[in-house]
Order: sequence, then C-alpha cells, then structure tokens
Amino acid sequence: MSLLQRVKNVVRSRSIHVCFVDVGSCNGCDIEVLATLAPRYDIEQYGIYVHNNPREADILLVIGAMTPQWEDKLPALWERIPEPKAAIAIGNCPISGCVFQRRDTYVSAPVAKFIPVAAEVPGCPPRPTEILSAILSLAPTVFKDFEERRR
Amino acid sequence: MKKVVDVSFPIGPVHPCWKEPVRLKCETKGEKVLQAEVELGYMKKGIERIMRGRPWQEVMFLAERVCGICSVIHNMVFIEGMEAMSGIPVPPRAAYLRVIANELDRIQSHLLANFSYCYTIEHETLGMYLLNVREKAMDLLERLTGARVNKAYMIPGGVRFDLQAEDHVIISSTLDQIEPDIMRYTRMFSEGPLIGLRSRGIGILSEVHAREAHAVGPTARASGIRTDLRTQHPTYQKIGFSPVVRTEGDNFARVMVRFQEVAESIGIIRRCLDGLPEGLIRSGGVCGAGTITHRGEAPRGELTYYLKADEYGRIVDISIQTPSIMNIEASAHYMIIGATSLADVTSTFISADPCIACTER
Repeated sequence: MSLLQRVKNVVRSRSIHVCFVDVGSCNGCDIEVLATLAPRYDIEQYGIYVHNNPREADILLVIGAMTPQWEDKLPALWERIPEPKAAIAIGNCPISGCVFQRRDTYVSAPVAKFIPVAAEVPGCPPRPTEILSAILSLAPTVFKDFEERRR
Repeated sequence: MKKVVDVSFPIGPVHPCWKEPVRLKCETKGEKVLQAEVELGYMKKGIERIMRGRPWQEVMFLAERVCGICSVIHNMVFIEGMEAMSGIPVPPRAAYLRVIANELDRIQSHLLANFSYCYTIEHETLGMYLLNVREKAMDLLERLTGARVNKAYMIPGGVRFDLQAEDHVIISSTLDQIEPDIMRYTRMFSEGPLIGLRSRGIGILSEVHAREAHAVGPTARASGIRTDLRTQHPTYQKIGFSPVVRTEGDNFARVMVRFQEVAESIGIIRRCLDGLPEGLIRSGGVCGAGTITHRGEAPRGELTYYLKADEYGRIVDISIQTPSIMNIEASAHYMIIGATSLADVTSTFISADPCIACTER
C-alpha cells in the first residue's frame, strides 16, 4: 500500500460529508436525520458533517418513496457527487415504498431502480442511532483503499 | 422603463437550509426581491387516493403518515372525526391523555421549527440547544406512546396505552427540567443583538395581508389575528388556556410566538396531569356511516379533514386541507416581497414553518 493511500485512508476515516435528499417521504425520516445533529447523538464527533451540497458529499442519504418529479433529478444529482461515493436508503420508503406502494399511488419505489444503493436502514422511521451506525459501518468498506482497489 | 438587472434566482429543490424539497423562484433587482413564485410537487405521493376505499383501521395509519412532524394531530383529527360521525363516546381519562400527547407533539414540532430558523440565520449554538431540549420532549412522547415519530396513539373510543404512576412522575420532573431551559433560550433569542438584526422588521406580514392570504397558526397569530381552534375543543375548554398573539408580524414575532406556545403547552400538560381523571382509557364503539368535516389545531395551524364513510367504516371519500399551503402562500406573496437581501429570503420562508410533506401529501 502506497504512502498516499495510507494518508487518504486516515483522512477519510474521520471526514465523511453527508448530503440528504428527500424524494417524497412523510418527513418522519427527515426529522430523525436532523435529530442525529443534536448534541445527544452528536454526529459530528465521528467526523461526519451533514450539509446539503451534493458536489461535496461522500454519502447520500435517500429518504422517501420516489415521486415522479425525482425520477430524472435523482440520477442527475447522483452524477454530481464525486467518487468515492455511496447511497444509503433511510427508512422503509426507499426500500419498498412502505404504505405508499399501493393501488392508485404516484410513487415508484424502490429507489434502487434509479441509483445504486449500498446500504438500507429499515424502520418507519429508523432511530437516529441506527442511521448513525449505518453511516459509520458503511464508510470503511467504501472509502478504505479506494484508489488501490480501483486500479 | 428599462430594467438594470432582472434575474430569476431559483432556490432549491435541494438546499442546505431546507429540510424538504421545494423550489422558490425569486425575480430580483440587485438583491431586492420584486416577486417570488413557489414550485411545489416534489413530494406528491397521492395519499388521499391510496386512502379511498380502505377501512378506517388502515386509513388511521395512513393519516399520520401525511406528515411525520405533526403526526399526532393528523391521527387526532381523523379519529375525532370518525368518533363524531359514529357517535362514539371518549372516556375522560383518554381525552386528557390525548391532549397530553398532542401538546408534547406541539412542543417538539415548535422546537424543530425554531431550530430550523436559528440554523438558517446561522445561529447554530441556539439551534443545537433547541434540538437538545427537543430530544427530552421526544423521550416523553416515546414513554407515553411507545414510538418516537409515527405513534398511532389514538383509536376510536380512547387511546392505546395508559399513563402509569411512574410515567406521571417522570413527565412532570422532565417538564420541570425543560421549562427553565426554554425560558433561557427564549431570553437568548429575544435579547440577542445579532438575532435581532436578522429577525426584527424583516419579512413583515401585516394583518390585512395575513387575512388576504388566509394565514393560519403561529404565522397568523404573529400578525395579530386571534385564531386558535384549540379554544373550540371541549377538552381544551375544560383545561383552559389562552392563545398567544403578537402584533409585530415579522420573523422575530413568528419565532417568539412558537417559543411562547411551547411554554403555554407545558402549562397545559401540567394542568392535565394534575386533573387527570381515573377510569377507563378505552370504551369501545363501532365506526359507522356518515359524512363530516372535522377541524383541529395542528402546530402549523388549522387542519381540516373531510370524511365520508360507509356502514362498515370504510372510507369512501376523504380530503385533507393542511395548514402549510396558506402559510407558504403568505410567505411567497407577501413576506418575501421587498426583502433587501437574498439571505433574508430563506430565513423568511423558514420562519413561516413550511411543511412540504403536509402540503403535497
């Protein structure tokens, strides 16, 4: 392993930028993602920084059951995220559509039809601790030795 | 006359300040906003279409998934509508427990709204304080109802869980902890000079304009309109409370109304706990046929459910009117106009507490 790769591994393990996008949920998962910012859960002590800029993000949190408006916008947003990147589906909605995947609905779940989803956190909504542990357990598998593995 | 600068400035749908996707298009001249337009439709799921033809047992769970932030009031208005339609009585203890759950939900919703505002004007310290207090309110909700966000606490003829003796003690002791914190943060907000510069006199909504835009909830009460549907609710009338009204109509007033309502809600919960009647929490009943329009006061304002059910309790027709759409209208067409800086546009829009999931359903 090269020295550069080792430095990158160390830096990336404590610096994860997260962007969250709501593609049509009931807002319940949004507020649980916001609750991870609270000093009780304190997402920033693990080096995770939540902001909504896809061009700087490493991890995309997808919330919601995929409404028609997002079908072209979500892949475009995914393209803007620089490599290495990963998407996490938060809640039941992006996994299966939850209660919205019924007759006469407008949504077209799952989100995995549109972008590659690396991890799924089921729950309606999942607890903030579960969201936090999903990001923390996914990060090393995506970011460790990224350049060497790609070669 | 030739315009020097005429730029259409789009904000959103993915924006650091906004929890949910919505697009705001501002026609600007320099940094002065001449007019603004809201583009909705990013979260339209068609929940009313899903609800039609389903039994009330399913619609009850769908109703609280209209909005995750104020899920208790959606549940409450739907269930109270079904009860009023079918003539199901509610035991007094259950009615009081419903008020406790509703007011705890209002506390956490208002604290989240004020967090968003503080975050938008970049006063992150106060925002984090508020988010931390909110976790205590969420703990109480979890203790009372068994879940954090989607609770499904109320059912026709009562509530699902009783309040145990130790819960009684924990709720009152936690409220004693929360109250001085809320008082301190309210003082921080009202006396902070930098917060005042970003909030006072910005995004003014006059009473005339508020009436024209049909503003509801804290947005209307901050503009001097005395409207609160809780005054018409029988349990609230028994407990007694007075709506918070301010007359400034700016961003500062809207956030302060929410702070004062949190203090008011703590008082309501205390009075509920003191006068909590003994007895059953579920009395049972059968949901039957009928048509009704039922209203309730959500954290953001007036919430209306129009329900039509058949004799088996199946929902034949339903339509929901949520409070946010009126406040978004007031925000985009009256408050934002004349904003002298684009930084004030986001903070003014957030100060009306728009809930896009509610609005689009």
